[in-house]
Amino acid sequence: MKRTAVIIVTALLAVACNQKQESTSTPTSAAPAPKSVMHVGLLTPGSINDAGWNALAWEGVQRIQKELGAEVSHQETKTPAEILEGFKSYGAKNYDLAFGHGFEFQDAAKQAGAQYPKTIFITTSGNTVAPNVAPMVFELEQATYLLGIIAARESKTGKAGLVGGINLPSIASTFLAFKAGAQSVNPKFEVKEIYTGNFDDLGAAKLATQSLINAGCDFIFHQANEAGRGVFQACQEKHVRCFGSNKNQNDLAPDVIVASAVLDVPGAFVTVAKKVQSHQFKPEIQYLGMNEGIVSLVWNDKLKPAMKPETIAEVEKVEQGIRSGTVKVPRGF
Amino acid sequence: MRQLAAALLAVVLLSLCALAVGRSPVELLRILTLGSVGSRFAIEGTLLKSIPLLLTGLSVALAFRAGVWNIGGEGQFITGAIAALIASHLGVVPAILASMLAGAVWASIATLMRLWRNAPEVLTTILLNFTAIHLLGWCVNGPLQERSAQYPQSDLAGASLPVAGELHAGIVIALAASVASWFLLYRTAAGLRLRATGLNARAAAWAGINVNAQLVRAMAISGAFAGLAGGIELLGTTHRLFERFAAGYGYSGIAVALLAQLHPLATVASAMFFGALATGAGELQRTAGISSSIAVFGQAVIILLLILFGSWRSRD
Repeated sequence: MKRTAVIIVTALLAVACNQKQESTSTPTSAAPAPKSVMHVGLLTPGSINDAGWNALAWEGVQRIQKELGAEVSHQETKTPAEILEGFKSYGAKNYDLAFGHGFEFQDAAKQAGAQYPKTIFITTSGNTVAPNVAPMVFELEQATYLLGIIAARESKTGKAGLVGGINLPSIASTFLAFKAGAQSVNPKFEVKEIYTGNFDDLGAAKLATQSLINAGCDFIFHQANEAGRGVFQACQEKHVRCFGSNKNQNDLAPDVIVASAVLDVPGAFVTVAKKVQSHQFKPEIQYLGMNEGIVSLVWNDKLKPAMKPETIAEVEKVEQGIRSGTVKVPRGF
Repeated sequence: MRQLAAALLAVVLLSLCALAVGRSPVELLRILTLGSVGSRFAIEGTLLKSIPLLLTGLSVALAFRAGVWNIGGEGQFITGAIAALIASHLGVVPAILASMLAGAVWASIATLMRLWRNAPEVLTTILLNFTAIHLLGWCVNGPLQERSAQYPQSDLAGASLPVAGELHAGIVIALAASVASWFLLYRTAAGLRLRATGLNARAAAWAGINVNAQLVRAMAISGAFAGLAGGIELLGTTHRLFERFAAGYGYSGIAVALLAQLHPLATVASAMFFGALATGAGELQRTAGISSSIAVFGQAVIILLLILFGSWRSRD
C-alpha cells in the first residue's frame, strides 16, 4: 500500500521532470561551469543561520561573490556521506574552489581531491595537505601574545587569569601564546588557567573568573565563546580589566575590556579565494594572521589612554616584529 | 486511492511552497529527481545513504512488530560503531559482530529495566540515546582520541568493508538483513510468536507464549540491527568516530519503518526513498540555493502526508 504511494510520487516527479527537460535547458546540475567566472562551493556542518561558526563561513563566501564576482553554492552536510558527495559534486562540476568548514572535512577533501585534481579543496583548520588540498589555520596566537604583553606591563599583582571553555588544541594554543607574551616581559609573571568544560554555561565561567580574581589575578582573558559574557560580568562587578576574544568585544563591557584579539573569518575565505583566482595557491597549510589582515589587536579607545605609553609603544613594536617575522609566536600545535 | 490523494496533495503543497519562495516548482522537482536518481553519481549517493536507513528501519520495524517501542536506535547505532572501531583491529568480520553485540547489549539495558521495575522502554531507550551520545563524546576526547590528540576524533579504523566504486559491501549485508528479518517474522514459529505478542500481548500470553521472552528477543534483535547500522557506517563510510557520528540515523529509522508499514521488505523501498530525498535535497541546496531547512521541511511534508493518508497500523 505504502509502496504504491511511494511509486506514484516518484513517477509524478519523473513525469514532471521529463516534461521540463524537453521545454527548457537551464544551466543547472549536469552542465560543467564555464571557466570565465570563478565557482566557489561551501560545505558547512550546520545551519548558516546559526549567527556563529557557520554564519561566518557563509558571510565569507558571500564576500567572495561580491568582491571577486564568483558564483557561489552552499550545502549543509551533516554526515560524512553527504560531505563526500558535496565535495565530489563540486569537483564533477569543475568548481575552482570548495571549502569545508571544519577539521572533520579533511578525509573527504583528500579523497575528493585525488579524484578531481582541478578543484582546490580547503578545510577550515586541520593538517591534511595534498596537491589540491590544504587547511586554513588562523594565527590568533599573534594577537593573544600581544594581550599577554599588555597584561604583564599593566598588572599590579603580577598575575593574570585565563578562562577557557573546552580544552581544545586551538584554545590551549592561544593561552600558550598569551603566557609566552606575558613572560617575555616578566619571566616571573604568573598565569592561571581554568577550563569550565563547555562553551555555554555563563554561570560556570563567571564563577571561574571570580575565583581567579580572588586568587589575585588583575587581568582576565577568556576563550569561552558564549560563556565569555559570564567572564565580563564578573570583571565588571569587581572592576577587573579583561580582554575580548575572536570578535571585537570591546563594546560588551566598555569600562573593563581593554582590547580584543580579533579574528576575521570571512576575510580568511576571501584571502584564500583570491590566491586561488590568481593561481598563487600553494599546497601547504594556509596560515592566516596579521600580515594577511585576518588577525588583529583592537584597542578599546576609551581605556587605551589609561595605559602607560611604554606599554602601547612596546605592543606596537612587537606587532611590527611579528609582522616582519623577527618575533616568533609559539603555537601549541 | 488514498495514497494517490496523498501523493497529489504532497506535490500540490510543495509546489505552493516553491512558488512562495519564488521558484518554479517544476524546475525544483527536476533538480530533486536528477540529483537523486539522475546519474550514476546520484544513484550511488542515494544507495549509500539508504544503507544505514535500511538497517535502522529494520531495527524499528522488528521491535514495533513485537510491540516493543525501541526509540533508542540512535544510541544503539553509536555503541555499535564504538565497538566496531575497537574490534576493527581484529579484522572486519569481528568488527561487524562486535557492533551487533554492542547494539544488542545497549538495547537490553532497557529490557532489563522493563523486566525489573517495569520502566517503559520508550523512556529508557530515549534516555540511553543521550547516555550513548555522551559516551561517544568522552571516547573521542579520551581513550579513543586520535594519537596526535589534536581533534576530537578517533584514528582510522583498523579494517574497512570491501568497496566497489563508491559503494561498499554494507549494501549486501543490509539487504540480507532485510530478507532475514522477513523470513524470521513471516516464515518461522519464533516470528509468529513475536508478531502475536505485538498484536495483543495478553492474548499471546493466553495462547501460551512467554511474552517476556519475546520482549527480550525483540529488543536484542532490534538493538543488534541498529548497532550493525552504526558498525557498517563506520567500516564503510566514515572510517573513524567523531562526536556527531550518528547524525539522526536512529531517529530516521522510525520514519523509514512507519512508511514501510513495518514490513521488512517494504523497508528496502522506504529506505531508498528517504535516501533519495536526502541526496536530492543536497543537490537542491547546491544548484538551486534552496536552504537546507526548506529541503528538510519538504521531506517532512511528504512523510506526514504519506503517514496521514496511509493506515500504517494495518495488521496482517
